[in-house]
Amino acid sequence: MSDVAAPQPILEFRNISKYFGNVTALEDISTNVVAGKVTCVLGDNGAGKSTFIKILAGVHAPSSGEFLLEGRPVTFATPRDARNAGIATVYQDLAMAPLLSVWRNFFLGSEPTKGMFPFRRFDVDFAKSTARSELNKMGIDIRDLDQPVGTLSGGERQSVAIARAVYFGAKVLILDEPTSALGVKQSGVVLRYVVEAARRGLGVIFITHNPNHAYPVGDRFLLLNRGKSLGDFAKSDIALDKLTSLMAGGAELADLQHELSQAR
Amino acid sequence: MLVTPEVGALIGAILVWVFFWSVGTNFSTASGTASYLDIAAPLGIMAVAVALLMIGGEFDLSSGVMTGASGILVGLLVRTFMGEGASLFLAVPVAFIVAGCVGWFNGTLVNRTGLPSFIVTLGTFFMLRGANLVFAKRLSGKVLVDGIDEGSGFEVFRKIFASVHKRPTFGSRDALVLALVSVGAVALSWGLLELSLVRRNGRDARGVLFGTVGLLLTIVGFVMLLRTTGVSANTLWGTVAAIGLIVALVGLARAFFETTNYRGTSSLSSHGRTLAFCVACVAAACAAAFVFDRNEPRVILSWMPHPLRLACALLAAAAGVGLVVRRWGATLRQRTGGPGLRGTVRFVLLALLTGALFVVGTLSFFQLTTEQAMRAIAVVALGAVGLLNLLRLRGKVAATSKGDQLIVGVVAALGLLALAFVARADSSAIRFRTGLFTAMVIMSALLIANTVIESQHVKRTSADLAADRRGRRAVAIGAALASVGLIVRLFFTNVPFRISILWWFLATALATFVLIRTKYGNWIFAVGGNKEAARSIGVPVDRVKVALFVTTALAGCFVGMMTTLRLTTVQASQGIGEEFEYIIAAVVGGNLLTGGYGSAAGASVGAVIMAMSIVGIPYARWNSDGRFIFLGAVLLLAVLVNNYVRRKAQEAR
Repeated sequence: MSDVAAPQPILEFRNISKYFGNVTALEDISTNVVAGKVTCVLGDNGAGKSTFIKILAGVHAPSSGEFLLEGRPVTFATPRDARNAGIATVYQDLAMAPLLSVWRNFFLGSEPTKGMFPFRRFDVDFAKSTARSELNKMGIDIRDLDQPVGTLSGGERQSVAIARAVYFGAKVLILDEPTSALGVKQSGVVLRYVVEAARRGLGVIFITHNPNHAYPVGDRFLLLNRGKSLGDFAKSDIALDKLTSLMAGGAELADLQHELSQAR
Repeated sequence: MLVTPEVGALIGAILVWVFFWSVGTNFSTASGTASYLDIAAPLGIMAVAVALLMIGGEFDLSSGVMTGASGILVGLLVRTFMGEGASLFLAVPVAFIVAGCVGWFNGTLVNRTGLPSFIVTLGTFFMLRGANLVFAKRLSGKVLVDGIDEGSGFEVFRKIFASVHKRPTFGSRDALVLALVSVGAVALSWGLLELSLVRRNGRDARGVLFGTVGLLLTIVGFVMLLRTTGVSANTLWGTVAAIGLIVALVGLARAFFETTNYRGTSSLSSHGRTLAFCVACVAAACAAAFVFDRNEPRVILSWMPHPLRLACALLAAAAGVGLVVRRWGATLRQRTGGPGLRGTVRFVLLALLTGALFVVGTLSFFQLTTEQAMRAIAVVALGAVGLLNLLRLRGKVAATSKGDQLIVGVVAALGLLALAFVARADSSAIRFRTGLFTAMVIMSALLIANTVIESQHVKRTSADLAADRRGRRAVAIGAALASVGLIVRLFFTNVPFRISILWWFLATALATFVLIRTKYGNWIFAVGGNKEAARSIGVPVDRVKVALFVTTALAGCFVGMMTTLRLTTVQASQGIGEEFEYIIAAVVGGNLLTGGYGSAAGASVGAVIMAMSIVGIPYARWNSDGRFIFLGAVLLLAVLVNNYVRRKAQEAR
């Protein structure tokens, strides 16, 4: 655990634990998220990454420990609370209607309207132009906003979701395995948007099992293994190969090797 | 833009119409139209409501029986309180409230239990069906309830729900229709051009679709033109054909040529000879009409047997085609740097297009081996060569000077106009010449519109929202004007029409507005497309679903009122089995059975298709029991076409 001389973190976790009955899903996790920085949460399958997200997004309440949003302790009863507090989660299934056009998806649930009541209508022009300019700001160029989201590539869809979260005033952006289903090139595209979102002042939590994706974009790395923290590192304190070996269970592997050689 | 859910249905409706028109005798008359619209109206109102529900991802099997139940309820109230001055002013609102409650019950149960709506509404269906029988029998001892006309206020409600209207024709009707349709067509094509200019990058497939639809329209229009007699019918079909032609030309041209740059420097001054040649061609075409003897049908190849004469005629047409294709083909090769696969495809398509033009042109002057026909060919061939080259020249000079483009475009339009007047003075067949004249006049108007647009706009490579908006407005205005024209043509014919048609139009318009222009529409799509996503992003999924079920039930009640007040009696079995017809109409109209995609207008068109099938079969003097075979086939075909259209929509860009 290293000390980072950082500005006031936007989101801080203190000894978060979560138990489901006798099962320990998370135990004593601490880290923080700074505005404009990317915190990566790394872990293999079953490491507790999804529980971590669900606590953040307000789906589960932590069993013990607390988290502080801008210095104040908060609890979220529903996902809506979390969203209203400025924590936007981009799930793997992306929360989009695949047959709906890009701009309709962009404003889904928060449609701009114009006109008096009986004629109040969806402000299509505003929605289109805003969606386009917001996507452009993120450096996303979608040829035709009228095309259904389902026709976009996985990377483009992720980037639309990120741009949407940014536009609707998220302070913290949680990305759940945004690159896991993507090819190398597409992953690169998404990583660029991750950095772009951080550059625009959001605190980003980037959840992944791929250290090669995490290392180039992350400023801080939280490693999880079977619900426990393997460490919370600043980028300056850890190199990629160390990260990789930790992720791949390098320590355990070394122990195993040691044991085997002893036995011989 | 064009790849919307209702496109497939629209094409299907046209095909079904043409089919019945060609096999039946009175199908296309005003009374035939009235009889299928009469069936389409209640079906359409229900189909629209069911389509909204289907887009929201649910079904309502109780919607059919609801039409009966609401009628029974009104009958019940009127009969029970007969002594105390039974009033429909009370009974009808009560029926609507009860229907709303049933819809609310359906929706809430689906939300609470998470059961498929198929099961829940099947339950409601049986309950309502049973209730209908029980109450009808208890009340009147029969399986029907009558005497609704004895309640007070019957006349008022009958006026609202089931009145009959008859409008006499008036003198300037056809002129009005023509004016509306042509202005509408101009606005429509202007808008489409604007829109097609906007999305230059992703427009190829759309252009092709455009072209195909246009070609279809052209063929239908011309075939109709040849079959019908009478000025107004010809006007109408001439217009259809002309619009189709423009759409086809514009669509194909945009799909195939726009992105490639014209080579070399081309200003008007370096094309003076071409311009002169073109103008000469048009002038010669005009002159040919007067030089040759018009009134004497002298057959010049009379010694030939008839098939051979026909062959000669076709060959003559083919020669003309070949000539044009060669010119265009040379340009193509030059532009693409060798024929290649795409070049070949373009070539074939162009050949087909020009071929269609020529065959239609030639066949229409069918006494092909008379001197008169020779003149006709001369007019058509010279005129076409001149005009096509003028259009090509217009494209060429556009690269360097917008002013030159405007000049050439106007020259071409004037040439077309001149030919139109020649054609009018020329042909002895009145039905033909009127249609052709109209078509050509409209074409020249469109040509000017097109030229003005193109000369004003710089080629855009990215989207221009203002132009997009302008285009959409123009399309909407054009479509509205043209439809008003057609409606005027349809209704002012001394044939009685029911007010239900008006309600149907209103329901479709309202549902379309809600669906694509309000946030609720967005929610409906999202709820059907990805319920969990919609919920997680803050859409009140449960409320949307309940609202949709209530809407469907209210629509059922509305249609029930229409039927009840029209017949004054209600069968206990009224509406049973019709829920599937509503669903079929919605599906035929391009609505996705699993939700998240579709349109209200499509459902209406689907209802028209079904109504045409139901009415058309007896009109064709076939066994009307066979209509179910036809309906089944239509359903399957429609779904296949819709799937295709949707796939195209998704891969096109």
